[in-house]
Amino acid sequence: MLKHFFITLLLFPFFLPIVEARVYLDINTPTFIQIPIVLPKWKTVGNIPPSLLAKEGELTRYKEKVYEILVNDLKLSGFFRVIDYQNFPPQLQQREGIPHTLFLEEWMPAGGEILLAGETSFEPKGLNLNLKFHLFDLVEKKHLVGKQYEGHLQNLRNMVHRMTDEVILQLTGEKGVHNTKIAYAVQQGEGKEIFIADFDGANIKQITQNQSINISPVWSPDGKKIAFTSYLKRNPDLYLIDMDGKNLRRFSSYPGLNVSPSWSPDGKRIALMMGMEGKSDIYLIDANGGNPRKLTTKEHGHQDHGNEASPTWSPDGKQIAFVSDRSGSPQIYIMTWEGSNVRRLTYEGSYNTNPSWSPKGDRIVYCGRVGGRFNILTVAPDGTGLQKLTSNSGDNESPCWSPDGRYIAFSSNRTGGSKIYIMNANGFNQRPLTSSKGGESSPSWSIRFE
Amino acid sequence: MVRKDQSIIVLILILCIGLILMGCPKKTVVKEEPSVKKEDLSKLEAERAARERAEREARERELAKAREEAKAREEAKAREEAARKEFEKSLVAKKTPGIEGEVLESKLLKDIHFDFDKYDIRSGDAEILKENATWLKKFPNSKIQIEGHCDERGTNEYNLALGERRANSTKKYLISIGIAEDRISTISYGEEKPLDPSHNEEAWAKNRRAHFVILSK
Repeated sequence: MLKHFFITLLLFPFFLPIVEARVYLDINTPTFIQIPIVLPKWKTVGNIPPSLLAKEGELTRYKEKVYEILVNDLKLSGFFRVIDYQNFPPQLQQREGIPHTLFLEEWMPAGGEILLAGETSFEPKGLNLNLKFHLFDLVEKKHLVGKQYEGHLQNLRNMVHRMTDEVILQLTGEKGVHNTKIAYAVQQGEGKEIFIADFDGANIKQITQNQSINISPVWSPDGKKIAFTSYLKRNPDLYLIDMDGKNLRRFSSYPGLNVSPSWSPDGKRIALMMGMEGKSDIYLIDANGGNPRKLTTKEHGHQDHGNEASPTWSPDGKQIAFVSDRSGSPQIYIMTWEGSNVRRLTYEGSYNTNPSWSPKGDRIVYCGRVGGRFNILTVAPDGTGLQKLTSNSGDNESPCWSPDGRYIAFSSNRTGGSKIYIMNANGFNQRPLTSSKGGESSPSWSIRFE
Repeated sequence: MVRKDQSIIVLILILCIGLILMGCPKKTVVKEEPSVKKEDLSKLEAERAARERAEREARERELAKAREEAKAREEAKAREEAARKEFEKSLVAKKTPGIEGEVLESKLLKDIHFDFDKYDIRSGDAEILKENATWLKKFPNSKIQIEGHCDERGTNEYNLALGERRANSTKKYLISIGIAEDRISTISYGEEKPLDPSHNEEAWAKNRRAHFVILSK
């Protein structure tokens, strides 16, 4: 009977109570309170394929894995206070699977506002599995959303990530970023290699293997390639490589620097640092690497305007923020994409570098030296609303945004070696990406992979 | 009477003086001419002898000087040769994994150092550059590369820009003291190739440097 109900529910989703456009969590407020979410044990339904039963522990492994990844994903998002079944009152601890909307009252003692429950079923051959989840509002006693996902066992993690993204969409009004990747450089001997890892730190892969100095990775806008600078030919040239580590090609190799590319939102141009005149300037090149033209030209009243670095496009494609030491110390400036109307953005402190423009255009994150230590700060493009996101935690550098603008990845040496960290855009929930000992730098965040 | 006598004496005297004035020079010239010629001759001979001696001595001095100079040149050349040999001997081939080509390094080409976030040449380091230039002038065909390096503080990208600037201010200084521009190339390694990987002031000071490598001799 219960089973029949759920099938109906899935086949005719329009019979479900209409989900209000209620935003449970407004992450745009400077300090948000995490949603307490109740996670009962995951249930396995239907026949268990012999292949899984044959190996002892295999089935339990999958059941536990789903639950484990889910708990981790929800925690990593920073939006939730996860109440897992081990912390339930005894009468609820062994309850499995999806409850009926009518009996939601029973779950009140668990202490949450939202309940996320689900079940796993296996395809007879044991190669594919099916994940189904339902989300309930315990305060208003109503069903919010239910979805199911089918895929190969190998894609289990990816399926749980998609589920989490859906839960986040439901509760915050925008999809999560659990199916994204972060590229970064890792010290190996005297060189550096480019690596990628998932948002949750899983699936760490080494992309380059050439023993050279490979630095400053940046994802291409289509999420298929990574641009980075390498000294392979004894010059800091810009290279492109596919995400699987294949198809390495030299992309921009003008004498001197070819560093820190930033694609225009329309993908037609790339702003980057070049050193053709004995110092670093901001140049534009075409998407194919040709036709370089200097953007930072001499202005009236400026004898020599110094080093320029780290260009970043505004998401509307009209402006470029960059670093210049023309005032005597490195500061963030903004100009039009054609190089005109240069204005200074930062005035606090004597060392502000590495700007990154948020995907929604409302903030610019950068690295600033405060009291002798490097910290991550954000500011509105008009220079107002300065916020310091890190403090008393070593040196923090190279910030970049997640594609939804709700997270910032950066490097920090707070525990000794330099490691990639991720935090919510308000500075909360700072955690290391991987469990490595250090040597990591320069993170770059991919688009969402569906 | 007395006046008359006096007048006669005066007259005689005048006559005598007149005679002397008219007759004496003729007699004197004729008498003395041979003796003057004789003296002049010996004097001239003496002078010639002296001159010849002086000239001989001068020639000898010049020869000696030339010999000394030649010796000095020889010695300088030997010193130069020794220096060249010393320099040649100081060269160490360096191959960096993952970076194309091989370069030569010499401990005689000394690094210069910079202040934090600065790229101007410090006065003490200008002296080092002058010494480096002296070496480089001995090998006018050699091509060098100046590497600009930074400490680990600050962001990697800005440090790449800073390293570029450090290499180029070093290059400009070398050009200003006579090293041909086409012999010098630059490369910025930012903070990517520290000399000392430690995380302290001492290491940072060492790492903020311009380093010289020889691309070809």
